[in-house]
This record gives sequence, structure tokens and C-alpha cells, in this order.
Amino acid sequence: MTRNAARDWYKDAVFYEVHVKAFMDANGDGVGDFAGLTERLDYLQELGVDCLWILPMYPSPLRDDGYDIADFYGIHPPYGTVEDFQKFLDAAHARDLRVIADLVMNHTSDQHPWFQASRSDPASPYADYYVWSPSDRRFTDARVIFVDTEKSNWTLDPVRKAYYWHRFFSHQPDLNYDNPAVRQAMLDVMRFWLDRGLDGFRCDAVPYLVEREGTSCENLPETHAILKEFRAVIDREYGGDRVLLAEANQWPEDVRHYFGDGDEFHMAFHFPLMPRLYLGLRLEDTRPITDIFTHTPPIPPACQWGLFLRNHDELTLEMVTNEERAFMYYAYAHDRDMKLNLGIRRRLAPLLDGDRRRVELLNCLLLTLPGSPIIYYGDEIGMGDNVYLGDRNGVRTPMQWTRDRNAGFSSAEHGQLYLPVITDPVYGYEAVNVAVQTRQPSSLLNTMRRLLAARRTSPVFGRGGIEFLRPRNSKVLAYLRRLERETILIVANLSAAPQPVELDLRAFAGVAPLEMLGGTVFPPIRGDPYFLSLGPHGFYWFRLERSGDEPYGIEGTAI
Amino acid sequence: MSAVAAPTLPPDVDRQLEGMAPAELAVSVPTYNNVTTVSLVLEAVRAGLEKHFAHVAAVLINADAGSSDATVDRFAEAGLPLVRAAHAAPPAELATVPFHGVPGRGAALRLSIDVARRLGARALVVLEADITSIDDEWLERLLRPVLERGADLVMPVHARHRYDGTITNLVVAPLVSALYGRRLHQPLAGARALSAPLLDRLAADPRWPPPGRAMTDLWIEGTAIAEGFAVHEARLGPWRVESNTRTTDLPTMVAQTLGAVFAVMDGYEDLWLPTAGVAPLPAEGAPAPPSSEPVRIDVERMVGAFRRGLSDLGTIWEHVLTPETWGDVLSLETDDLARFRFPDELWARAVYDFALGHHHHVVYHDHLLRSFVPLYLGRTAAFVLATRARDAAAAEAALVAAAAAFERQKRYLVERWR
Repeated sequence: MTRNAARDWYKDAVFYEVHVKAFMDANGDGVGDFAGLTERLDYLQELGVDCLWILPMYPSPLRDDGYDIADFYGIHPPYGTVEDFQKFLDAAHARDLRVIADLVMNHTSDQHPWFQASRSDPASPYADYYVWSPSDRRFTDARVIFVDTEKSNWTLDPVRKAYYWHRFFSHQPDLNYDNPAVRQAMLDVMRFWLDRGLDGFRCDAVPYLVEREGTSCENLPETHAILKEFRAVIDREYGGDRVLLAEANQWPEDVRHYFGDGDEFHMAFHFPLMPRLYLGLRLEDTRPITDIFTHTPPIPPACQWGLFLRNHDELTLEMVTNEERAFMYYAYAHDRDMKLNLGIRRRLAPLLDGDRRRVELLNCLLLTLPGSPIIYYGDEIGMGDNVYLGDRNGVRTPMQWTRDRNAGFSSAEHGQLYLPVITDPVYGYEAVNVAVQTRQPSSLLNTMRRLLAARRTSPVFGRGGIEFLRPRNSKVLAYLRRLERETILIVANLSAAPQPVELDLRAFAGVAPLEMLGGTVFPPIRGDPYFLSLGPHGFYWFRLERSGDEPYGIEGTAI
Repeated sequence: MSAVAAPTLPPDVDRQLEGMAPAELAVSVPTYNNVTTVSLVLEAVRAGLEKHFAHVAAVLINADAGSSDATVDRFAEAGLPLVRAAHAAPPAELATVPFHGVPGRGAALRLSIDVARRLGARALVVLEADITSIDDEWLERLLRPVLERGADLVMPVHARHRYDGTITNLVVAPLVSALYGRRLHQPLAGARALSAPLLDRLAADPRWPPPGRAMTDLWIEGTAIAEGFAVHEARLGPWRVESNTRTTDLPTMVAQTLGAVFAVMDGYEDLWLPTAGVAPLPAEGAPAPPSSEPVRIDVERMVGAFRRGLSDLGTIWEHVLTPETWGDVLSLETDDLARFRFPDELWARAVYDFALGHHHHVVYHDHLLRSFVPLYLGRTAAFVLATRARDAAAAEAALVAAAAAFERQKRYLVERWR
């Protein structure tokens, strides 16, 4: 076994976010399943990712793509059984891949037996499992998140004849975390999966666990206290190498609290960075990117940011100003259908007009900025989307394996597929698929493999600090990543035109930068500004190692 | 051998040779931007000839790879008959200069051999232009075995600190020795002397190594040994180098040196597949005491790099190493430095597995070679840990034992080769 055995393995890991239903259909029913995912583990291993993040896999009426869980202890039947999941997990571990799974802590489906019992029998032990109220005038300071579909956070239940609280869809009642029995029940759910060997959870919608009058009902101290309690139990019972990743779509200073003193979440998504990468690219200006880092607080040493370019949701624009949002809509969502809530429902490649150079550039930043990168399935081959499929389904279509029927995803009849495959002439499966790109050495897939392989050569990327250089040319982003004696310099051209740049690298005088992706040694750095030119959206990864440092003491005379 | 046709030399070299008197000795110094050291080397040549070969006709050959400094001007100052044999080095070797510091060294050697043959030389000596420890005895020690004792190839042995040359001592020398069946101490050394019969034989070979992999020196050694030419070693004393062109990047050094050996293994199976056993070579000159000045080696960091390799490069190593070797590498104790060992047999198998992985293309060659670095660091750290409290003789004995493992395990390599 070569799995990174460190307790903080997640700091070095590259994550891969995948839908079971979308990856591979082994039984030919038109829906992906765990048996299919297991078949494709070799592909993921060869891609060079370290940990799979499985989107909700539990039985669900699928009114929110599985984020409406109807049974925490099972597998959604079309995806397989708990036994199939176990086989998948063991096969992943055998390939040194870890696995975390989505877990919705805040709410359940209204189909969940807990809710059914809660609404129908006030004497039931589940009566107090949800947040009930005779009035819809409580917690009025809490915002409505899904503004496109929900008018209020309260919905009147005709059975119990009371209002229940829901921060998301009305079919997703919030659990009542003030009830100790709910906390115990959720811990038992976590134990069930951790006992099977699961490496952790991506915890959905964590800021909303507890409600208090007169507050926004988000990020409350009571919520943090509960999360810390969960973390302590998991650390104690599972040896401290299971990871908890928080989904808290908040500003970094608010997200910071979810790390606690290193005793709450191990990881949290860096939501505000992502839209600023797109902004910086479109404006051809490094400032949106460098600015967000000045507003990113330091986090405890054992914690890590999760970075991403795209995910299964819309590209959320909650964490930008109104002005920036307007520009993002203008730049990336010219068609009304591309917008959803406060975001844009498109995949990476079409967002960037299919421009291979820009796709590579954003992936370069994803893999080299401080944090653990998360790749959304299909983006490694530049899959397209279909905004006409409604909600966020357009970015959840079947993985494109080959140019065969159903993109090699399923042997089912075309109409049987859970969603149609992408067929447009640019991004359709006949043009964009794994088989073709595997054969083509310069394909996006093979480029991603090379970038991931280069990232693996150094712990700097996952663990090092960041220091932005400030060249006069603001179209060129340049930063140093440092860890102990190792320094890596990233230089990236955000512009579509070639750019010159002069970098102040006097601190490295005498060093001959080694370009990591091509293995080429560049001219040594002298006292003057170091001059580089970059092609359109070009980038360099330089290893800056002093030959005079003799870090091992044998270099000068080794041959 | 003398029936070999006269080689076609570049016209400018031809012109220089016209009317030049035959020479008994040819001394070639391939160069590339060596202005700071080349005068020292040329002075050692001049003094050595004067002292030991005063009445022997000698010619200096400068095969230059396109120096942009005043290197080539220094040759005129040596006061010896001179043949300038400039060559255009392959662009790839100019971009990434090979470990020996001279792009296109293969072409330089070829030119030197052809010029020496045209001049009717009895022996050709090749020296490196960036060696600062050279003295006026080197020529004599390299040449005398050829001129008087029937040697065809004389390779140098240098007195070095026990922790100098760890790539050579722990990897390349034991590997090449086991391949060729002769104990070569420094198969990558650039200095050497070659007899006229060997020059004829090499000149006639249609299989000269292609440029780009620094294979020529190793191929010459292999060819000489395989075809029964007499190979000797000459003890030359210390080896110090001052170079602007040799890489000091450890992964590059490892990739280039090991890559050269592996490329020779792939390209010239007939030189090494049939041999068994390792015989010592006759050595000239008195053994010099190795340098014993203290050196600072960060063993902890080396073991750390090895440990990191286990986690980061495991995905490559497990493709390259056999399951048994991989299992043994994984079970090495790395947490407690005092208990960290790298057994000789395991090391030999690991190196052979990399050779096999290179041969069978299990991963990209460059990935394979660079992924070897942490393994090498682990082995080196183990060697330092095992010998640092002991004397030089014990360190030498440890190297001999390590080399013996390569010899014992050669069957393992041969069985898996085809």
C-alpha cells in the first residue's frame, strides 16, 4: 500500500468529485452505479487523484439530486447496495485511493421516516427531530437561499398543522440540533459508514444547524459547538485520520471559524476564490486573485482549504460584490438559461468558450494555489454541459468514455439514461471522450495527468506558504510557494496576448530555475529583475533550488 | 585492424592534418566553456610530456563544442602541435548539458579517435578540461600501461572521500561492473587512454552510440571488455572539478548517469548479457590515501526524502519494482534512523528492477529515472549511517560487499530481460 499514511494526508491530496449515477453504469439500467464506478477506478488512479468525493449516495426521492436523504443507512437502489459500496471502497483502497462521501447534516428529505413520524405523531420519539413552529414569523432575519424557488424558510405542514423550518427546499426539513437525540442519531450515521472504512465526509450545508431568534441563523456559536463535539468523537473513535470537509458558502473570515482551533473541520471550501479566478482571467488582471488572499485569514496548521473551479452546483456568485456579479454574468452567462439562483450553471470548458489554453491555465492555478484541489468529474477531459436540462442537471450528465453508444457510459437504451449524454458538435461525446484523449499525447486529459504528476513531486503545493510577487505587468500572476528549503515559483499569464514580465528574484541570485513541466533549466537569476516572456495564457512552474545550498551534502561530488 | 579505411574528417580538420608529421601520442581535451580551468590542464599536459615523454612526438587535439568564452584560444598558448576539431553539439545537449559537462562528447571522442588514427598515434589520451587536481603524472600513469604493458584501455581510479561519488560507488560502478564482468571503479570517468588497436576497432564499428544519452564512454568500455582488449586501471590521486557546465541538480545527475547505463543496456545487449562473474582489473600506481576531511551530510533529510518517495512515488515504484522488491522496500525501517538499513541484495534488485522497467518501458523513461532519486538517497543514507563511525577500509569493504550483491543478482536481471 502506498497510500499517504500521514494523519493529515488530506493536505497533500487531490480530490475528485464524482456522481455515482454519472460515472459508469455496470448493469445497463441507464443509471451509474457502484459496480460501474469500481470498474473505472483504474482510470482515476492513472489520472493521479488521491481521494474520491462521492456525491450523495443514499436512498432519496431525488428532488434535490440526493441532497434530500430518505435513509442515512442505505444506498440509493439504482446505485447498488451497501455491499456494492463496500466492494467499491475496498477496491479503491487497494489502489491507494481514499474515499469521502457527502453527508447532509442540516436536513433530510420530507420522505425520511424521521420526518414522517415527526409530522404525524407529536408523541413519537421523533416529534422533536425537526424545527416546528405554530407561526411562520420566527427567525425572520434568516435569508432565503434558493430565491428562485422558495418564498420563505417556513412551510405549513398539513399533517401536523404547524410550520416546519427549512433553509433549502420546502421538501428538505431542517433537523433540530438542539435535540440531543438528533445529535446522537447523526453521530451513529457517521459511525456506520466510518466503520466500513470510509475516509471521511464532505458535510453539506453546515452553517445552518442551529437557529436563534434575532440572528441570521448562520454560523452560530451553538452550531460550532456541535460540530466540535462531532469531530472529537470521530477523532477519538477512528484514530484521527478521517477527514471532515465543510461546505460553508461564506466569506473566508466566517469560514475560518469552521476550522476552530484545529478541532472542528479539517477542511473547508474556499468559495470566494473560485469566482475571482474567473474574474481575473476575464479582466486579464491579477488583482481579484491577489486581493482575495489578503482577505483570507491564516488557518490552523492541521487544516486545509479545498479549492475548486467547478462543482455539481451552479458556479456560485454569492461571494462577490453586485458589481462583480454583473460582470461575471456579462462575461460568462450571456444566455439567461445559463443563470441559476446567484450563479452560473455551466461546466469549466464551455465557461471558457472551449479555450484549451484558458482551461489549462485555470487548472494550473487550481493545482498550485494553497489548498487541496478538487476536480469535478469530466472536467479533466473538458466535458460540456446542457443548460436546457433544468436545475443543475446540465452539469451532471453521463461521463464520456468513448464514442460508442451512450458515450460508453451505459448499454441501456438511449431514452433510459438518467440524463441524456452531451451530443453537441463541440463538446459531444463523439469529440470529447476518455478513449480518444488517452491516445492523444497532447490531449487535455494527458496534460492534466502531467500537471497532477508534477504536483505530486513536491509537498510544497499542499503544505507551503504563498507569497505573491508584484510585477509591474498586472496581467501576469507570479507567486512563490515555500516549504522549508523548497521553493517553487509559479508564473501565469492571465492575458490572451503574449506578455513580458520582470520579476524581482534577487533573493534567489545564483539559482538556475528548473521548469518542472518540461525539465528545462532556465538561465540563472542575477541581481537584475528576472525577465520572462509568456505566451497567451501560458504558465511556468519553476523549482528554485540553490545549487550552493547542498541540502544533502553529497550533490557537489555525487558522480 | 589496420585495414580499416581512413576516416572522413571534416574539411577544416583535413586541412590541418595535411603535411602534419605523424605523432606517436595524441592528447585530446574536449572542451565547452572551460576558460577558467583549461590552462591548468594544458600545463599539466605540457609538463607531463616534457617530463616523461620528452622525445616522443605528440599532438594536442581540441574538440570544442562551441565555447563562447576564450577556451579555444588557450590551446595556442600550450606550445604543442595542435589540431582543432570543432563540432556542432546536438541542440538537446546544449540545452541540458550532460553530466560530464561537454555537449556532444560522443562526437568529440569520435573526432579525436579519427584524428589520432590519421596521425598514426600509438595511443590516444583523453583528458577533461575542468579538472583542477590534474598534475604532470597523469599522462604518464595513463599512457605507460598502453605503451609498455600491452593495455588497450586505461581507466582512471581516483582517491576520493568515502562519501564522494555516491552515484558512481553505489549505483553505476557496481552495476556496470556486474554487466561487463570487470570491476571498474569509475566507469563514468572522462579521462582515459586508448591503444591504436582499440582505436581501429572502435572506428570500424557501425554501431556508434547516437547522441543525446552520454553513452559513448560506457560503450567504449563495454566493447573493449567484451572483445578481449586489455583493460587496466591507473590510480591518479584526487579528483577535483571546477565547472560551469556540469549540473549540480541531483535528480538530473541521477537521470543522466543511470539513463546512460540503461540506454547502453538496451542498445548493446551483446556486450553484457553473456558475461558472468566479475574479475578485478590490473591497476597501475600506488594507492593514494583517500581524503578524510570531515563532510557535512544531512542523513536525516535524505531518509526524509526516501520516506516522501515512498508516499509520493509509490505509484511509480510499484509499477517498476517487482512485488517482492516493493514489499521489501516498504518494510524498511525509516522512523528510527539508528535502525535504518538498506540491504545490499535488495538494493541490487531494486536497481535491476529499474533497468528492467526502463527496458520494458513501464513508465516514461524520465519519470522512471527521476523517481529513482529518493531510493538512491535512501541507499546513500544507509551507507553513511553504516560507515560513518568506522575507518576508510571498512567503508571500502562495504562498497565491495555492495558490488558483490550486483554480481550475485545478475541472473535475476538476465532472466527477466527478455
